[in-house]
Amino acid sequence: MKTVLIGGMGNVLLGDDGVGPYLLRLLASRYAFEKGVEIVDLGTPALDLLHRISKKGSVILIDSIDIGLPPGAVRLFTKQEIIRQGGSARLETHSPALTDTLLGAEFLGVCPEEVVLVGIQVESLEPGCTLSASVESALPRAMTETLHLLNRMGIKCHCRQEPEGSGIWWADAATPKSPLDLRGGAVPTTID
Amino acid sequence: MARITIDPITRIEGHLRIDVEVDNNAISNAWASCTMWRGIEKILRGRDPRDAWLFTQRFCGVCTTVHAMASVRAVEDALQLEIPLNAQYIRNLILIAHALHDHIVHFYQLSALDWVDVLQIPKADPAATSKLAESLSPWTGNSRLELKAAQDRVKAVAASGQLGIFQNGYWGHPAMHLSPDVNLLAFSHYVQALEYQRKALQVVGMLGSKTPHIQNLTVGGVANAIDLDTPGSLDMNRLEAIRILLDEVVRFVNEVYLVDVCAVAAMYPEWFKIGSGVKNYMAVPDLPLNGNGLAYDLPGGYIHAGDLAAVKTFQTAADPIFRQSVTEDVIHAYYQGDKPLHPWKGETEPQFTGWDGDKKYSWVKAPRFNGEPAQVGPLAQVLIGYAQGHPLTQKYTNAVIEKIAALGGPHATPAALHSTLGRHAARAIRACMLGELAHKHLQLLTENIAKGDYNVFNPPVFPDHEVEGVGTHEAPRGTLSHWIVIQDAKIKNYQAVVPSTWNASPRDGAGNHGPYEASLLGTPLARPEEPLEVLRTVHSFDPCMACACHAFDPSGRRIAQVKVL
Repeated sequence: MKTVLIGGMGNVLLGDDGVGPYLLRLLASRYAFEKGVEIVDLGTPALDLLHRISKKGSVILIDSIDIGLPPGAVRLFTKQEIIRQGGSARLETHSPALTDTLLGAEFLGVCPEEVVLVGIQVESLEPGCTLSASVESALPRAMTETLHLLNRMGIKCHCRQEPEGSGIWWADAATPKSPLDLRGGAVPTTID
Repeated sequence: MARITIDPITRIEGHLRIDVEVDNNAISNAWASCTMWRGIEKILRGRDPRDAWLFTQRFCGVCTTVHAMASVRAVEDALQLEIPLNAQYIRNLILIAHALHDHIVHFYQLSALDWVDVLQIPKADPAATSKLAESLSPWTGNSRLELKAAQDRVKAVAASGQLGIFQNGYWGHPAMHLSPDVNLLAFSHYVQALEYQRKALQVVGMLGSKTPHIQNLTVGGVANAIDLDTPGSLDMNRLEAIRILLDEVVRFVNEVYLVDVCAVAAMYPEWFKIGSGVKNYMAVPDLPLNGNGLAYDLPGGYIHAGDLAAVKTFQTAADPIFRQSVTEDVIHAYYQGDKPLHPWKGETEPQFTGWDGDKKYSWVKAPRFNGEPAQVGPLAQVLIGYAQGHPLTQKYTNAVIEKIAALGGPHATPAALHSTLGRHAARAIRACMLGELAHKHLQLLTENIAKGDYNVFNPPVFPDHEVEGVGTHEAPRGTLSHWIVIQDAKIKNYQAVVPSTWNASPRDGAGNHGPYEASLLGTPLARPEEPLEVLRTVHSFDPCMACACHAFDPSGRRIAQVKVL
């Protein structure tokens, strides 16, 4: 059985930095996955990420990025691309955790064959529990990209008839909105 | 005179910047600053106090647990709410396991490579190293084959020309002087440490439901179901599984971590004379033994100006002396305000003016105890406990002092612990103490459950009037305190005074240096353009700036940038 980790990374208290956990929870509320797929809100895990990815078959990490793209742009990065970032400008906003973790996992011989980062360019990282409009409107595309990625990896999932509660507990109480109200486009209902 | 800037200096959750002036190859002045700003407390205003811990444990990805715990304790203090014994013991076990994990990670993954030269490892002789190791410790992971495997990994990386995870070290620096064999031995433990810190984390996960971000807390207790007849709840099988994991971690701490720290100390004796700085020390008592938190297994108190004989004792985690004596000063921090404020009155209004060493230069506020800086962390707790005659602290402090001398190092006294190596030694001492206490608290929990007490929760009741509370925790990096004001069952004000703000604090209005800054003064630098000595001292505090300041460094730099001006 293929072991897969889908992880959402980011600090849910820092505006768009929370997009990783946000999208992860949306994904889990709408889709059911086959056995062996682990879905985890990782927060900002620093070096503990090593234990999470160690010896997995495939790893998909959803995270905010800040590399000067238009806000809400979605970009995928492979393991090699993440590692190559090494000492230069940071890629996702939780370096050094990710690059160092992958380098450490490579050194120990426990790095997953396949690691893909689904990155969403942030607009604002000011303290707060709300996504900016540009990042919120990128959610359907980021989810579609993630589903296509799962498909390419041969990981089966199906759309739930009724979405489960998303558990986005941190969303700002002052401006309630339905986390399932995805603006800006349709999301595939089936992927296999 | 040369000016050196190192930015960022932490290996995790970056954003600490250090500036030093160097005169005749020694540091003559120093500034510690944080390059991010914080304001997360603002998110909490107006929310339900029972939810605060879920938010506060997102301050940081490294110390999630500690902020959750300080938060529920703050609300319980405000409500004068006792918690059941089971809840207290379960919380204590989580805190102990988290701290064991954190101390192991700190020594091996975050600071050992300041002392261990990885590129010397290919020259080592695994057979001779194994023999040396057997003379130091009964640890079974020191076989020739184990050591050779670690050496082969390093050889492969060195041969590839790509140093990978080791690309940022000061290899071959003149201040590195372990033999190739000792470098190999320490490095093989760097690899093994990953396994044991994972086991400690597993204990946090088994009791806390998830890590990172435990899920089992609640104001008034914990949400662990205890039922000896229902699989899936906390039953004797699970308690036994926890005991086995703790056994393994504790053995690693006693037979590997403690021994390695003593060996490094014996071979770098000059570092007992470097890095002292602020000799005011503060720690809060922790690991409560009853529901109302009036008896503890870890001691707290205050030492002024290094005078161990005049140590003060904090009787409780919310001791009135502690409650009344803490203020935060923002004269040299990027916030509005011109006088020190008590955390309950605390304000967090940014006023960014750019780095200016004479004026404002950090996003960290300057916490002060009775108007003076205080050093926090394992060294503070060990010195305070030792000075108070705390038996467990004395037992392991004396063991470490004897071990260092037995390995050919100096015969240190507790006073010599005011130093860079003293901070490392104290952290290892504290890890051993926690190891012993882990078993004690597991036993207390097991016995209490066996008596038929399954209670884990006392419901909170919010009064009509305004109430204030402080929740403290002696976290791996030192004294953590969350300060809350509650009105109409909503949060009116919330401030977190975290360990790294005590230690990384900038100067205050009176011009007193913070502990990082003071500890660097007078430090000799062999090669100012490769300031390894600065890293050694700053890393000995175990800096983690994510909760000292929150947010993102827009410069996007991630490796240490050293500028010599």
